[in-house]
Amino acid sequence: MAEATATGTTSEEWQPKIVMFCCNWCSYGGADSAGMGRFQQPPTVRVIRVMCSGRMDPVFILNAFLEGADGVIFSGCHIGDCHYVNGNYKATIKYKFLKAMVNELGLEDERLKLDWISASEGERYAQVVTEFTEQIKKVGPSPLKPEGVI
Amino acid sequence: MDIGDCYVGWATDEDIRTRGASGGLVTAMLAAALEKGLVEAVVVLKKIGEFEAVPIVTSDPEEVKAAAGSMHSVPIVLSRYLEYGTKVALPAKPCDARSTIEQAKRGQVDIDTTYIVGLNCGGTMHPAVTREMLDVMYKLDPEDIEGEEIDKGKLIFETKDGKEHAIKIDELEEEGYGRRESCQYCAVNIPTMADIACGNWGVIGDLAGKGTFVEINTEKGIAILENAIDAGAVEITPADDKGKAIRAKVDGAMMNVAAAANEKHLSPIEGSHLDYYMNALKDCINCGACKTVCPVCACGETAKCTEFSSASDTYKMSLFHLVRFVHLMDSCIGCGQCTDVCPVDIPLTHIYQRFAVPMQEEFEYKPGMDMTTPPFFGVDLIED
Repeated sequence: MAEATATGTTSEEWQPKIVMFCCNWCSYGGADSAGMGRFQQPPTVRVIRVMCSGRMDPVFILNAFLEGADGVIFSGCHIGDCHYVNGNYKATIKYKFLKAMVNELGLEDERLKLDWISASEGERYAQVVTEFTEQIKKVGPSPLKPEGVI
Repeated sequence: MDIGDCYVGWATDEDIRTRGASGGLVTAMLAAALEKGLVEAVVVLKKIGEFEAVPIVTSDPEEVKAAAGSMHSVPIVLSRYLEYGTKVALPAKPCDARSTIEQAKRGQVDIDTTYIVGLNCGGTMHPAVTREMLDVMYKLDPEDIEGEEIDKGKLIFETKDGKEHAIKIDELEEEGYGRRESCQYCAVNIPTMADIACGNWGVIGDLAGKGTFVEINTEKGIAILENAIDAGAVEITPADDKGKAIRAKVDGAMMNVAAAANEKHLSPIEGSHLDYYMNALKDCINCGACKTVCPVCACGETAKCTEFSSASDTYKMSLFHLVRFVHLMDSCIGCGQCTDVCPVDIPLTHIYQRFAVPMQEEFEYKPGMDMTTPPFFGVDLIED
């Protein structure tokens, strides 16, 4: 089974590859508490830690898609709780631009998501990951996936 | 003289008045600004043939006068020619004025020392396409052409033997010739964002063809016009209401034409968007020319779009273009330079506009129209 997951070829079902950007102060802690609380979640997410959701650059997300990600989530502290005062406001503006861009480009709307998860919301973290994975499974592999990448 | 006033003016110098377009007001005003020391440099267009002109920076009033009557050229990227803070005056089409304002927002141009003399514009033509059009549509030798004119929706070329050849612009554009595509759907014809807006629309009666209609938009506009009057280089008379109405009517008609072209060119993509964009960009050779000429790109040599992409990437789409799509969503003014310079003829302006127009409409943000809204974070940070 371990080998099967590493190559991505499980016999039963295709597993999407999801890149999740978590902010250092809230969502990354949320991922930690999800593990500590032993909340079940699919093993589809690759977490990348950034200091703040305001650090998110469109380049990161576009590159993730080009490298073969089927979906991208970026996540930070709830509005008003940002460690850097207003980083997550800036993230929402970038998100609006990216969302419009991804839609015009012809990628499905479901492939990009912005969500707020605080450090104590382990259960919510697991829920967001589970729901997003289900969503991506419905839309299938990304059309931007390079040849040979599973 | 107040902001919002309209005048009709002309050059006092006989030579400038006859050689310059519509009474040579703009040429005289620019030359006077140099002579009186209001500015250190002027950007003028130097004719290098019947179909082409290049922007040059000069401090010589004689050179400014010599450039009278030049045709429109490519949009001007002012920050690439001059040091920040140089006192400069430039004649500008609406897209030139908008690109200069966008550069000022990005700290590339000092708007307080830049006098933008706006010129009405109904569109420009690509030199190479014009030559081809003369050959294919008019059956004329491009070298034989002596003058061109637009009248009553017809594009008229005059040959050396004095004959005139006219074809309807609509007909030409149907065949893919005529104005640049970006000019066809550009709806900004009167440069209201410039310090002073000049043009021949609204000049009626005895003055028709011999005077320039001027609208003052800013304090700097007052300064440059008063300077020219004090120097005795131009004369003005207040514009009458009929002239103003005609000018507004011409502008309105041009806007309607642009709206129709917009609908035609930017109609929704049929089929897969992704296939459309991948197909459009597949010929890209990564030369970077589109970025180099882009008037709203202030990144310089080291930019996100270039640093994170390379010609050896095997991605399905170029990261360079994807980054530029996002980058230009709030700021693309649709000047058309990227399409002009693309060596493999990718319709880049068209593509950027597809991304930019819906976003700019959503945020009600039109780039380059004023200095009040900064780029990208123009949206209120404390919303929803």
